[in-house]
Amino acid sequence: MKKSHYLLSLIFLSFLTLFISCSSEELPENDDIQEFDRGAVMENYANNIIIPRYNDFKSELDKLKTEVIEFTQNPSTETHTSLSNQWLEAYKAWQYVEMFNIGKAEEIMYSNTMNTYPVNQERTIDNINSEKIDLSDPNDWACQGFPGLDFLIHGVAENLENILNLYNSDTKYGDYLIVVISNMRTNTNNVVDDWSSYKSEFISSTNNTATSAFNMLTNDFVYYFEKGLRTNKIGIPAGVFSNNPLDTKIEAYFASKNSFKDVSKELITEALEAVKLMFSGTSKTGSVGPSYKSYLDYIKNINNNGVDIGSEVMSKINTSNDRINDLDKNFIYQINNDNTKMLATFDALQKIVVNFKTDMLSLFNIAVDYQDADGD
Amino acid sequence: MNLISSYLNKKQDSTTLAFFRIGFGFLMTFSIIRFWLKGWIETIYIEPSFHFSYYFFEWVKPIGNLTYLLFLICGISAFFVAIGYKYFYSIIVFFISFTYIELMDKTTYLNHYYFISVLSFLMIFLSANNSYSVDSYLKKVNYKKVYQWNIDCIKLLLFIVYFYSGLAKINSDWLIEAQPLKIWLTSNYDLPLIGTLLQKTWVHYAMSWGGMIYDLSIAFFLINPRTRAFAFFMVIFFHLFTAVLFPIGMFPYIMIMGSIIFFDSSTHKKILDRILKFFKLDIILNHKKIKTKQINRLNFRDTYFTIISIFFIIQILLPFRYFLYPGELFWNEQGYRFSWRVMLIEKKGYTNFKIVDMENNSSFYVKNEDYLTEFQERQMSFQPDFILEYAHFLGDIHSKEGIKDIEVYADSYVTLNGRISRQFIDPKVNLYKEKRGFKHKKWIIPIDEKIKGL
Repeated sequence: MKKSHYLLSLIFLSFLTLFISCSSEELPENDDIQEFDRGAVMENYANNIIIPRYNDFKSELDKLKTEVIEFTQNPSTETHTSLSNQWLEAYKAWQYVEMFNIGKAEEIMYSNTMNTYPVNQERTIDNINSEKIDLSDPNDWACQGFPGLDFLIHGVAENLENILNLYNSDTKYGDYLIVVISNMRTNTNNVVDDWSSYKSEFISSTNNTATSAFNMLTNDFVYYFEKGLRTNKIGIPAGVFSNNPLDTKIEAYFASKNSFKDVSKELITEALEAVKLMFSGTSKTGSVGPSYKSYLDYIKNINNNGVDIGSEVMSKINTSNDRINDLDKNFIYQINNDNTKMLATFDALQKIVVNFKTDMLSLFNIAVDYQDADGD
Repeated sequence: MNLISSYLNKKQDSTTLAFFRIGFGFLMTFSIIRFWLKGWIETIYIEPSFHFSYYFFEWVKPIGNLTYLLFLICGISAFFVAIGYKYFYSIIVFFISFTYIELMDKTTYLNHYYFISVLSFLMIFLSANNSYSVDSYLKKVNYKKVYQWNIDCIKLLLFIVYFYSGLAKINSDWLIEAQPLKIWLTSNYDLPLIGTLLQKTWVHYAMSWGGMIYDLSIAFFLINPRTRAFAFFMVIFFHLFTAVLFPIGMFPYIMIMGSIIFFDSSTHKKILDRILKFFKLDIILNHKKIKTKQINRLNFRDTYFTIISIFFIIQILLPFRYFLYPGELFWNEQGYRFSWRVMLIEKKGYTNFKIVDMENNSSFYVKNEDYLTEFQERQMSFQPDFILEYAHFLGDIHSKEGIKDIEVYADSYVTLNGRISRQFIDPKVNLYKEKRGFKHKKWIIPIDEKIKGL
């Protein structure tokens, strides 16, 4: 009896030593398992993706400003065409930065001011007539940004002739156009300039806490993919969340509706490409650095029966891309003539959301940023 | 029969129970204050428009801003328990208010909240105010002794908690795959000193096995006087370590405090007297007018003992109810709760609902954020009973909006312990027609892997 007690104590003691040794003693430097460096992911993201993409976008927006000035000074078919074309170029560049809702961007609700659609037409018209300058009220989100420009450039009247007439007869339209583009530039400069000081904090903030940059960026990335990309660009217009399809809720609606150009497909193609490059840590020039994908690969190696989520996601992105390619470039036409293709695209994107929201967030064990409570 | 009655007459120093009461009471007071200050009353009970209920307890709901009053009552009763003021009523009020709070929304279910409910129920029947209490001061009677079974049943409950949580760890995911610790520990890379170590495979295994052995054996070592001091050191080490690693709130401190009960009454007396001296309360309590008697003979001793015996039979059997259900416990979670399965699985889900209007042959998906908080959505997404209850809620509110012939389908994916996510709920089953209850949920798509073990 006593002997067995002694033996049990001994077993227990050995476990204690094991615990203590694993909590305090040797910290082996030259270990064969290379520890994953989240700082390197952040560095790659900041230096090779986020900042270059912001700079690209900023210069596209500067060009757009020039086109706006040209157009407002001389509203003509030519100036309208080049304004409309530059609007598209800037809108495409925007697709590469919308997901970075972090730092200054989060603080000033940047993406809400830039890309809230559908446009609130009535309120926008009111704003034009009342010559409103301050667009900081959240109710004005749907009266500015790219959708606002879409309405101002392609939608204030039914066709080009009438649009030009409006701008030629009443300077209020041109004035509001300038207010909108100026607002977009101010906000963009705000965000881009802040990155020069925010960058070092961003790179070093890799703790697993709800407020660390690594976790916030990841949550934002997943949130953007689910809401900004899947829901807004496809789900809502395809009627996934309503009884009927809602073709007026597509991105860049007026350009399609009034037959200027069909760009919704082009925009989502860019957006998906942006997600793919971000996920795989690929820069604009094609160089590949540490990323979510390489982090998932690292975890896969730690788990002996680990699953290859990284490749899974990449191949699902390609499938989604195929589904998008099946779509007509005019989404209004697609929705009204064969909505099943829109729904198929939604389903393909949905499969990626599943991997992001369950597998990836589970393996990263990301502390959630919304609401906190104890676990057990 | 003789054996039982002689056991029932066994006595022990009343200090031990008083010590436990004081520790428990103050920890609970602090827990309630902490919960309040973190703003959780607002975010968990008042803000959500929908609450997940336990079966049979659908009538227990948050009561608007009066919920604050409920927490106030709970906190005050905990404080009264601590100081031993009108103990019997205070502990009843505490038990009822605390349990009511827990029943309001099962999203917040935690084993340690259940533990507190169960423990406070048990404490109703214990003479925990016989010394070191306002009650004994006011009645001017100190009782030196209490019946030993009073103390033993707290020990037994602690034993069950530890031992069962150890048993639950005997499964292939925990011991052979070192999951979910592998995921959880790896993500603690930011801890100073040990962050690097937590990336190592051998650490994942050492901690999985160590945790299992700790849980199974710690109560035995606490019972044995010769290993007790050492075991208590382990208790402190283990719980503080888990407190650093995981967001588990007050649980570690409650368990550390609870384990002190295994020590001799002389230890408890020493600690209590020192604390009283520090606050200069010893003079009051040692007032000459307070008589010291041997024991307070309970009027309902046999009734109490019967209730407690039934209570423990339930405690011992309840965790095994999962045997009544087919399929994988960790996947189906049928009979998972109230069983001391603590920190056992890493599960995340993504679940969306399709409302089908059969009359007009149209359908749409629900945006969960319209009805649930992020926290609720997260919990709902991988737990079948949540999914069913929410499906019924969705069916009900859309029926009210005028859709007559309505069906509700779930599109649900779940990942368990690092396995790749797979479909969780049969997408062809109209959940609105499935009844809530304890019957096996046939609409859960079984997991094709077997997790061996208990």
